[in-house]
Order: sequence, then C-alpha cells, then structure tokens
Amino acid sequence: MEFDFSPVMEYWPTLLQGVGVTLLIGLAVAVMSVIGGQIVAVITLYTRKMVNWPLRFFIWLFMTTPLLLQLYFLYFGIGEWILIPAIMVGVLGLGFHYMAYNADIFIATIRSVSSGQYEASRSLGFGHLATLFYVVLPQSFNRAMPQLSNNMIIMVKDISVLSAIGIGEMVYVSQYAISVTFRPFEFYITIAVIYYLINLMMEAGQTWIERRASYRS
Amino acid sequence: MRDTTETPMVELKGVKKRFGDLEVLKGIDLRVDRGRIISIIGPSGSGKSTLLRSVNNLEVIDEGTILLDGVQVNRPDLKGLAFERHINHIRQNMGMVFQHFNLFPHLSTLENVTLAPRKLKGMNTSDARELGMDLLERVGLSDKAKAYPSALSGGQKQRVAIARALAMQPKVMLFDEATSALDPELVEEVNQVMKGLAEEHMTMLIVTHEMTFARDVSDWAMFMDGGVVVEENTPEHLFSHPDQERTQNFLRKHLGAQS
Amino acid sequence: MDFNLMIEIAPLLVKAAWVTVDISARALFFGFFIASVLVALRTSRTPPVRWLARAYISVVRGTPYFVQLLLVFYGGPAIGLRLDPFTCGVVVGAFNIGAYMSEAIRGAIESVDSGQNEASRSLGFGRLETLQHIILPQAAALMIRSVGVLAIILVKNSSLVSIISVVELTYQAQRLIGSTYKPLEVFTLSALMYIVIIYAVMGIVEFLYRRATRYTFQ
Repeated sequence: MEFDFSPVMEYWPTLLQGVGVTLLIGLAVAVMSVIGGQIVAVITLYTRKMVNWPLRFFIWLFMTTPLLLQLYFLYFGIGEWILIPAIMVGVLGLGFHYMAYNADIFIATIRSVSSGQYEASRSLGFGHLATLFYVVLPQSFNRAMPQLSNNMIIMVKDISVLSAIGIGEMVYVSQYAISVTFRPFEFYITIAVIYYLINLMMEAGQTWIERRASYRS
Repeated sequence: MRDTTETPMVELKGVKKRFGDLEVLKGIDLRVDRGRIISIIGPSGSGKSTLLRSVNNLEVIDEGTILLDGVQVNRPDLKGLAFERHINHIRQNMGMVFQHFNLFPHLSTLENVTLAPRKLKGMNTSDARELGMDLLERVGLSDKAKAYPSALSGGQKQRVAIARALAMQPKVMLFDEATSALDPELVEEVNQVMKGLAEEHMTMLIVTHEMTFARDVSDWAMFMDGGVVVEENTPEHLFSHPDQERTQNFLRKHLGAQS
Repeated sequence: MDFNLMIEIAPLLVKAAWVTVDISARALFFGFFIASVLVALRTSRTPPVRWLARAYISVVRGTPYFVQLLLVFYGGPAIGLRLDPFTCGVVVGAFNIGAYMSEAIRGAIESVDSGQNEASRSLGFGRLETLQHIILPQAAALMIRSVGVLAIILVKNSSLVSIISVVELTYQAQRLIGSTYKPLEVFTLSALMYIVIIYAVMGIVEFLYRRATRYTFQ
C-alpha cells in the first residue's frame, strides 16, 4: 500500500479546470434556483389553485424523486427532441431540482410575513405589487436565508453527480485522468479535500449571511 | 363652539360594519376639524379600533360615508384597479400608527421612514435622507438612523413608526392603541412625541386605553361601547362628569386604577 | 404514452425497486448504530475522542456522498478494501447517513429541557439511566421525525449506486431508457416507484411518531 500523488500533480491544471467548472455551475444554479424559486413561490401563492397546480405538481415531483433520475430523464428525454449541450442539461436539471426546494421554502416564509406588515405597507399608500416587492419579498428572503444557504451547500456537493451525464466538472475530468494513470484513490481523495475546503468556505459564508439576515428579520 | 362651515378633515356619516352576523359599528357619525385632536375610548370589543381602521379602509365598511378633507374614502362604485389607485392615493394622506408598531424588519430605521417618500413620491435619495433625519430628530432617534428594528426597544420602535407615518406629510394621523403593547416605563416617551404633534396642531384621531393622556391632550373625547358612540363631549366634561351610566362605570374602573 | 411497454417493463422495475429498498434499509439499520456510537463519542469525557468524532462528522457532511462512494469503491482496493458494489453501497450509505443521523439524534436529545436532567440526577439516577428512562423517551418523537427525513434522503441517495453498477431502480431506468428510447414512460414508472417507497417511509415514520407521542400532549 503506497500512495503516489505525482499523477494528481501532473493533471493538476485539468483538475483545476474541473474545479472552475464546478464553481461556475454552482453559481449559475444558485442564481437560477433562488430567483426561479421565488418566482414559482409567488405565482403559487398569488394565483388560483386551478391555475398553479402544474407548479405545485412539479415542486412535489422534483422533491420526491432522486436527482440522478431527473438528470437521466432530461438528458435522454430532451435529447430526443432537441440537441442541447450536456452542460445545459446539467445546469437546468440541477437548477429545476433546487428551484423546487427553494420554492418550497419561499412559500413558507412568504406566508410567515405577518398581516401587520401588509397593513403597515398598505396604510402608507403602497399597492399590492409594491407591498410584495418592497415589504414581503425582502422579508421572506431574509427569513429563508438559513435554509436557503443550507440548500446551496448541499447543491454544490450534488454537482459531482453531473459527471454521470458527462459534464466536465471535477469528478468527470479526474475519471479521465484515472483511466490513464490508474490512481483512483489519490484522485478521489484530492477531490474530497477540494470539496471539503469549498464546503468550509461556504459554511463560513453561511454564518455571516445568517447573522446579517436574522438581524434584519 | 365648532365652526360648521369649514370642511372637516375627517368626517364619518352613518358608518356601519358587520363581521358575519355581528354588527360591530352600528351607525357612527364623527367629525374631526382641521388641527383637532379626538380621542376614542371604550372597552375592548367596543368597535373603536374597527372604526379607526375603517377610516383608511383597512376595514371595508358596509354602509355610510367616510370623507377625508371633503374627498370620499370608501367608494363602493369603484372596483378593482380603479379603487386600488384611489385608495392608495387617499392613504398617502393619512398616517397610521399600529399597536404592534409593524416596522419593516428588513430596513434600517432611516429606510423605514424614507421608503414611502422615495417610492411613492419619487423623492431623491438625498432629499429623502434629509427628511428622514429631520423626522428621526423630531422623535429623538437621529442617533438610531442606521439601526435595525430588532435592535430597538418597544418605545423606540413606536417613535420610528410615528416618524414613518409623518414622512408622507399626512393630513391626519390615526393612532390605534399606540402605547398598549408597551412596557409601562416606555409609554411616556411615545406620549411625549404625540403631545409634540398636538402642539404643532396635527389633526389626530386617537384610540387609546390611556385615560389620563386622552384627557390631557385631546380637544374632544368619545366613549364607545357595543358599536355605538355612547357619549361624546369635551374631555373635561366627559372624564369628570360623564352623563351616561355606562361611561361612569367604565371610567370608574379605568381612571381609578390609573390615578 | 405507450402503456403496453409500461406493462412490459414494470416487472423489471419492481425488481430493481426492491434492490433500492433493500440497500436503503440495510444502510439505515447500520447507519443508526454508527450514529449512536458517534453520539456517545461526541459526549465522551476524553477531549481527543470528542474531536475525532467531530472531525469525522464534519468531513463526511462536508464532502459529496457521490465522491465518498467512488473513493471507497474505486480507491478502496489501493488500501486493501475490496467490496462488491452492493456491499459498498450499504457501507458507504451507512457511514454517510450515520454522520447526519448523529447530529439529528444529538439535536433531539439537546431539545429536552435541561431541568429534566437535573430532576432525574437529583433523584439519584446515573447518567445512562437518566438518558434511558428520562431523556430518550422525551427525545424520541423529534428523533423519529428527523431520522425519517434522513431515511428519505437515503432512498434518494441510493440512486447514486447505479454508477457502480448496482442494478437498482435508477440503474434499471437508465438502461431501459437506452434500450426502449421511451424516456417518458420509463421515467413515469420509475418515478412512481420512488414515490411509493418514499410515501411508505413517511407512513412508517408517522406511525412510529404517533406511538412515541401516545402519552404526551402533542
């Protein structure tokens, strides 16, 4: 039993590229799932059940089935009709998955804004939409912050699953390197360490963000 | 005694309001002249809060008319967006202060005050800031401009809420039990701010539990019970020699405990 | 939708769904033991033991389950650890969920009012007796709920063992999509099976929760 990390060093630039792809996907999915989740939540809460049932159905479906199955369906299913690059499938798949989870949170936090807040805003002369934008959504966002940042931390770890549909993030690029160097242990340990460091940073950010948000909600 | 030729600032005529089968306002008439201060007292469930909330349509009345400076507030003839536009405009001219403050927790003290003038009047940031700081100064909280509501005491919150309501330069201020949720030692600082407004001849409609304050500050006092105005008079008269037995009983209970 | 095809492939998917249930149930079972040990280590009186337990939990929670799976399955042989795919799925699943579960159990125990501990100790109960007779019965309800949430995550995570070619639900679904070119039909059926499994878990959790709260006011 001996370890040889020189292949990892040799493929370090490739691995770093994979890290870059992972981080970019993470950013894209975070933006998409947070904004999308908020839109889905608002539509779900402010329209009739007859109108918004497809949204509620998709939230439910995305939350009760595994991510990988959803990715396969999108990858092979959408691939049937139109040609889109795998990376798009990956971002959309992960984006929709976490959009559902985030929408679920926003629905709860928007509901939790007290009627007094609506009344205060209305009594100043704000209309329904202005009240939503200036008062309700910012507050629901602050209250969602702890769970939202939790979801995003879990999401970044799930980016590794995208290797299954051939997206060149960390795991995928090292799988190629492994097939050449036969050093799976060293590569996967390295990836685990990189993920752990990313996770530590995100947790530090989460603590800061949560303190700031709880002070304002 | 009262000049009836002048347009009253707030006028209610035959206002009725039902919650399901329960009639909470059974035909209320009320007139608040410019610069006058009217206090409404009464037991809980008397309809006094509902009455106040009806004035800016937070409660929608079933019958009667409410006028602000000659303009009708309730407009059963207007529907949907047309009514929405109308009522938003009306509400910009009325300041409301709530029992539970309802400050916006996601905004700093200054932002709470300046939100409405910035977004509704399109005031630019520096003007809004100046106005906001003036108002915070007036309620004695200019040093708390950057603080968030979570860092303020109840009394401070309510003073910010008053500043927020004043920021739209309202024609009338409505106070809905503004000191009822406060610890006793914090009541006075809010009362002081309200007295300050009274000295500046702000038109005010005050629903309160504070009998002493109502007697000291208002020009006219009303006692409500069971959805009707039982008795109204000058505070000197109403608090010292009430004509009705119900008023006497109520005051005996509440004034006795206070003074 | 091609219903004939769905009827045709249903038996294959049911069989694969059973593997999903099997692997998840075993991982949950062993995971619970691992979690209990971790909770004990975290409350140990020897600081290095506590640090070790904390470090383990932090590392497991801070890295992707998928990477853990690949590391043990493909990297394991380098350190003399050779596991067949199914066993690997159970072992990694158990060690992974154990870390999360230890936090859930600790949270439930800490949620019990500290006055309960003091009252019990003042009666002369020891630390373990207090835990057994006083704290755990009160923590049980919350514990069941959070372990239930983790069990559902475990079921969904088990889809990842398809990558190391365990023929479970997601593996079979992917293979059938490839051979039939009918992604919608295959997805609908396999999604339905996951939903059935997850609702069954939720049902069991609800049943246990009711039993645990039988004598309380909740």
